Amino acid sequence: MRFQILMSAVLLATSFQAFASKPETVPEMIARAEAAKLEDRPALFVEIAWRQLRSADQLYTVGKVEDAQTDLKDVVSCSEKAHDASIQSGKRLKNTEIEFRKMAAKLRDIKRSLNFDDQAPVQAAADRLENLRTDLLSHMFGKGK
Amino acid sequence: MISASGKLARVVLTISLLSTAWAQRRRDPLNPPEADQLRDAAQEPSERLKLYIEFARTRLASLEQMRADPKITDRAQQTHDRLQNFLDVYDEMNDNIDTFVERKADLRKPLKAVIEADTEFQSKLRALKSSLDADKNEIKQYDFLLTSVVETVDSSLVDHRQLLNEQEEAAKHKKK
Repeated sequence: MRFQILMSAVLLATSFQAFASKPETVPEMIARAEAAKLEDRPALFVEIAWRQLRSADQLYTVGKVEDAQTDLKDVVSCSEKAHDASIQSGKRLKNTEIEFRKMAAKLRDIKRSLNFDDQAPVQAAADRLENLRTDLLSHMFGKGK
Repeated sequence: MISASGKLARVVLTISLLSTAWAQRRRDPLNPPEADQLRDAAQEPSERLKLYIEFARTRLASLEQMRADPKITDRAQQTHDRLQNFLDVYDEMNDNIDTFVERKADLRKPLKAVIEADTEFQSKLRALKSSLDADKNEIKQYDFLLTSVVETVDSSLVDHRQLLNEQEEAAKHKKK
């Protein structure tokens, strides 16, 4: 009996650990970010945007262009949410601006590795991030208030 | 004979074309020959990083050259644009380093060149910063950007040194 209880406990602990170590999906991350405190949202949305940007890069490398473009849409939408949360909370404006700058640099680098026909969505995403970045800068210097 | 509204339309068209051209230029910090050189270097870390160092160096040199030119009238705007251009190229170089690290590439040799360049950029940027005391109004237009550039190069130099140490340690353990 004692052995059975012990085994059940081990099994339970193992399955819990397996569940706990499973990486969070993007929709789960987005849900967590949306439920977070306003001042915590910029960093969380930037993290998701980076994850999707790296994923898009890998997908482009293996030729899965449509999947990569879907990830790019997440990059833009999460960046927009990071931008909005940053402005509303007045927190992490500078950090968010720096991350947008770095993501735009990565997008430009990805774009140059693609066929001409596939470049437009990447350029559009880079442009959108640059616009968000400019807007953050305006807020940082009081023009957007 | 062209009517006044026709002339106005031409002026508007010219302005819009000029602004499009400016936007196009802003959209990619590298010019087409530089982009071609990167494409030719493919994913070879040593070649790519060497090119990025060269592109960044060219941009700082162009900034210094412009600032030394007494004929320049829009010095503040040009300083801003050239600093931004340098930062865009430098960010891309850092992004390439991150990508190569993810791919577990051996970066010991190219990192030494990057660190050497970082030190060179750092001293040039500091020299620029300390030479700016003369015109406070001008500085306002790019002060934040210049601070960002200096901070980026400073923190990247620390990161690059740390990465080189890590890679050298890893290489030592591999040999054993």
